Amino acid sequence: MTVVKSPGGVVYAHSGSADVELTGARTALSPAEIELLVLIDGKTNVDELARRAAPLSEEAIKKALEKLVRAGYIVPAADVTSAGIDPGDFFSSAEQGVASLKKNGYFVCIAHAAAPRKIVKDEKLSLLVVEDDEQLAKLVRTYFKMEGFETRIAGSRAALEAALREAKPSVVLLDVMLPDADGLDLLAAMRRHPAVKEVPIVMMTAKSTRESVLQGIRRGANGYVTKPFNVDVLLKAVKSVLGVK
Amino acid sequence: MNPLDELRAEYRAELPAKLAHLRELLTKGQLKDLHRALHTLAGSAGTFGLPAVGEAAREAEACCEAGHAERLAALIDAIGAKAA
Repeated sequence: MTVVKSPGGVVYAHSGSADVELTGARTALSPAEIELLVLIDGKTNVDELARRAAPLSEEAIKKALEKLVRAGYIVPAADVTSAGIDPGDFFSSAEQGVASLKKNGYFVCIAHAAAPRKIVKDEKLSLLVVEDDEQLAKLVRTYFKMEGFETRIAGSRAALEAALREAKPSVVLLDVMLPDADGLDLLAAMRRHPAVKEVPIVMMTAKSTRESVLQGIRRGANGYVTKPFNVDVLLKAVKSVLGVK
Repeated sequence: MNPLDELRAEYRAELPAKLAHLRELLTKGQLKDLHRALHTLAGSAGTFGLPAVGEAAREAEACCEAGHAERLAALIDAIGAKAA
């Protein structure tokens, strides 16, 4: 494979399988690989990727890029131009395409697959839905109850803290925009707290920009689902981060 | 009716009240609350089977964020048209 140097370094672009990976309900990629996959846009060179992906080390970035190339998720941007497509136009069109897909009910869903595990006898998985939109929270609760989960709702930071004190859930669905807190700050706080730091957290948000997805991943989210979502896909994401079928 | 369909029907039934609330916030000039209400509507309508309403709400939310208050009345009407 020919690697073409741009003035600031190599520029990579997604292949079709990268987009499948970023919108699927499961991923086997590491957080560093996902982060780079999200940052790669066909215009940003490796030097700039390294700056944006800090604190990932240069070595970690190199290894992740090599793996992504080997697995066919990314290609040097020259491979895109060799097809006669200008990279600028190509990615501008791609962004428009994503907007159009969203308009038609598609969404972003990233979930790290946990190690598979079996549900032991009499074990009940519990879900805590942190969402201030009461109707949406009720819909999610009803759906997950139908799927066998014990489900509670918290509509604010205070309610989340009370719910965590009451019982540790198997998994948390966390809205990014709460009336009294930033969900990303709550995510970071939970990741620091010894009692709940291991609880898988799937972020739910109406923001689907690269930056917002990255913020969630960097602060330790196990999954990221954009609104509006399909509840079936939300269930797949939750099962994926729990490692259950 | 399946419980999920009941919730979807309930959501649709409450849309006129949500729209009235949006108009009231606009009339009172409470743009921060209006932005939040539009954000909520944009995030939920598609999940309740109303993607066109969600998309119209997202457009109004972006307009509100950009501070183009003069266009909001028309955009809220557009949400109403999609909900009808």
